[in-house]
Amino acid sequence: MRTDEALPARRGVIHDRNGAILATTVDLRSLYAIPALIPDLDAAAADLAVLLGRDPAELQARLGSGAEWLFLARRLPEETARAVEALALPGLGFRLEPKRLYPNDGIAAHVLGFVSDDGLGQYGVEGWYDTLLRGVDGRLVAERDPAARELAMGLREARPPRDGADLVLTIDLAIQTAAERELRAALERESATAGTIVVVDPLDGAVLAIASVPSYHPAGVAVADPETLRDRAIAWSYEPGSTMKAVTVAAGIEAGVVDRTTEYEDLGYADIGGRRLHNALGRAWGPTTLTEILERSANAGAVMVGAKLGPELLHEYLLRFGFGAPTGVDLAGEIGAQVRPLAEWYPVDVGTAAFGQGLTATPLQLAMAYAALANGGTLYRPYVVAAWRDADGEHRAAPLPVRRVVSEDTAAQLRAMLTSAVDEGLANRAALQAFSVAGKTGTAQIPSPDGRYVDDEYISSFAGFFPASDPRFVAVVIIERPESRLLGTLTAMDAFKGLAQDVLRYARVQPDRSP
Amino acid sequence: MIATLPLRRVGPARRSAARARPAATRRRGRSTVRERKANLTWEVRSFASASAAIALGFVLALLYLSQTTAISAGGYELQRLQAERDEVARQSALLEVRLAQLDSPARIEADATRIGLVRVSHVLVVPAEKLAIRR
Repeated sequence: MRTDEALPARRGVIHDRNGAILATTVDLRSLYAIPALIPDLDAAAADLAVLLGRDPAELQARLGSGAEWLFLARRLPEETARAVEALALPGLGFRLEPKRLYPNDGIAAHVLGFVSDDGLGQYGVEGWYDTLLRGVDGRLVAERDPAARELAMGLREARPPRDGADLVLTIDLAIQTAAERELRAALERESATAGTIVVVDPLDGAVLAIASVPSYHPAGVAVADPETLRDRAIAWSYEPGSTMKAVTVAAGIEAGVVDRTTEYEDLGYADIGGRRLHNALGRAWGPTTLTEILERSANAGAVMVGAKLGPELLHEYLLRFGFGAPTGVDLAGEIGAQVRPLAEWYPVDVGTAAFGQGLTATPLQLAMAYAALANGGTLYRPYVVAAWRDADGEHRAAPLPVRRVVSEDTAAQLRAMLTSAVDEGLANRAALQAFSVAGKTGTAQIPSPDGRYVDDEYISSFAGFFPASDPRFVAVVIIERPESRLLGTLTAMDAFKGLAQDVLRYARVQPDRSP
Repeated sequence: MIATLPLRRVGPARRSAARARPAATRRRGRSTVRERKANLTWEVRSFASASAAIALGFVLALLYLSQTTAISAGGYELQRLQAERDEVARQSALLEVRLAQLDSPARIEADATRIGLVRVSHVLVVPAEKLAIRR
C-alpha cells in the first residue's frame, strides 16, 4: 500500500543566555486501546486507573463505549508510560506525540509565551518567533507492507523536514528566578495581586529578566485566567509618577533651562495652568536644589523644571526617551502606552507630565529610559533573542541604538543626582552596603473610569541602576495597589535591593564602595 | 535454438559394400564420417550451451532473489535501527529536560529552604586591593 504522510519539523529549543533549556519539544507516548483485543476490560481498567490516576469507572466506560480504537491518555510522563508498558496488556499500544516542555515550570512564562494545541506559538518569544521556531514540515510518499513497514524496494519520495531554529535568549535564568522570587515576596508582603520587575543591561538593551504577576504555567494555559497571560512589563501601562522626574530633570539640563546649581523656593505646591499642584502630603521643603528635587521627590520642583521647558520641549523629550511608542522589543503583544499629542495638552499637563501623571508608560519603557541615563545618554531598542541557530549556522542579533536622547555630560549629572537620591534622599532604603545605587521612587495614582483618580489606591515603584559608578544593571520594580498604600515604595525598594544584592553577587561585580 | 539431426545406424551389409567400393568411394566415405563427427560435436555443443544457459538463468534468478531478499531484510533492519536511534534520541531529550529541571535555580532554592537553609542576610565583601597591599 502507498502512504503519503507529513514529516513534522522539530520545534526549536529556547535557551537562556548561559545555555540552560527554557523550552523544548519532546515526543511523549500517548496510550491507545483496541478494546476488542483486551481480554478482560474490567481488570484492564482497574490496572490502568491506578497508573493513570483516573477513575476506574470512567476508564471502563471508555473501553466499553464501542469504539474500535481510542486514546486513553495523551502525552504521558515517561515513568507512567513505562509502568503501563510493563503491564504488557494485549490491546494497548503507544503512539508518539510532540509536547512542548518547560523545565523551569512557570519561570519566565511571559517571556517565553506558549504553544497552542495546534502547534502555534502564542505571546512572548514563542509568538514573536513562531515561524523561525516552527521550521518547515517535510513529506514522505512510500510503499509499505501490511505491517506498515516501508518497503526497501518500493516507491519512495521524500522531502525532509527543516527543523525550527534554536533560540538563545538574553534572559539569564538566575536573574529571572531572583526577580520572580523578589516580586512574589513583595506582593505577598503587600497583599497585592499584581506587579512587575524588569531587568535590562543598559549597555546594549538586552533584557535580562521580566517577571510579571499574575502569571501562568506555559504547559497549563488551557485552564489559565486570560488576565494572567498579559505580560505586564510590555502589555500594561500605568501613570509612572515620580520615577518620571528623572526624565524631566534630564530634559531640563539637556535643554539648558536648568543646571545642578538651579535653586527654587519650595512652597509645597506649584501653580500652573490655573491649577495648584501639591507635593506629596503637602510638605513645603523651602530652598531646594535640582538634586534635592530628586532626593525629596518634590512635585513642585518637577513642575518648575517642566514650566521652564515648556510643553513643546517637554513633550519632545518624552518622545525622545521612548515614551508613547512601543519600544520594539521582540516579544508579542507589546503596547505603546500613551503620551497624548501636544495639540491635546492642557496648560496644566506640563506640570502633571513633569512628575509622571497624565501620561502612561509600560515598565519596559521606563527601564529603557533609565538605561539611557545609565549608559551615557543612548536609548537602545530592548531585545530578548541574542542569537538563533539553524541549518545555516548561528546568527547573532546586534544591539540597536535608537537615538541619543541626552549628552554624556547630562547623563553623568543624572547618575550623580540619582545616586544622591538613594544615598541622601527618600530612596535610601534601596542603598547597598558595598555598591553605589542610583534610583528614584514613584507613587502613582490610578485613574478611574470617570476621569478622576481612585481614592487611596496607588501603584508603587522604584526604578534604578547599579553599580551607579559603572552601571551594569537597570531594574524597575512595580507593585500595584500595595496594602501599605503610600508606603508601598518601601516594599518596592526592598525588592529592588534584594534583587540587586543577588544579581551583583551572581555576576561577580567588584564593589565600588568600602563596606 | 537447439538443432537436432537424425542419427543413422550403419549395418554390417553396408560395411561390406563399402569394402568393395573403390578408393575414391572410400575417401568419400571417410569425409562423410568426419562430417558426421562434426555434426555430433555441434549437437553436443548446442546441448551443452543450452544447458549452461538454463543453469545460468537459474543462478541469476537465485542471485536476484537472494539480493532482493537481502535488500528487503536490510531495509527492515535499517528501519529498526532508525527507530532505535529515534528512541535513544528521545530518551536523551527526556534526560536533558530532567537535567534542566534539576538544575533549575528555583528548584534548588526550594530544596535548600526545605532542608532548613536560609538566605544570607549580609554578604561580607573583602576588598582585594587591601590584601594585595599587605603582601
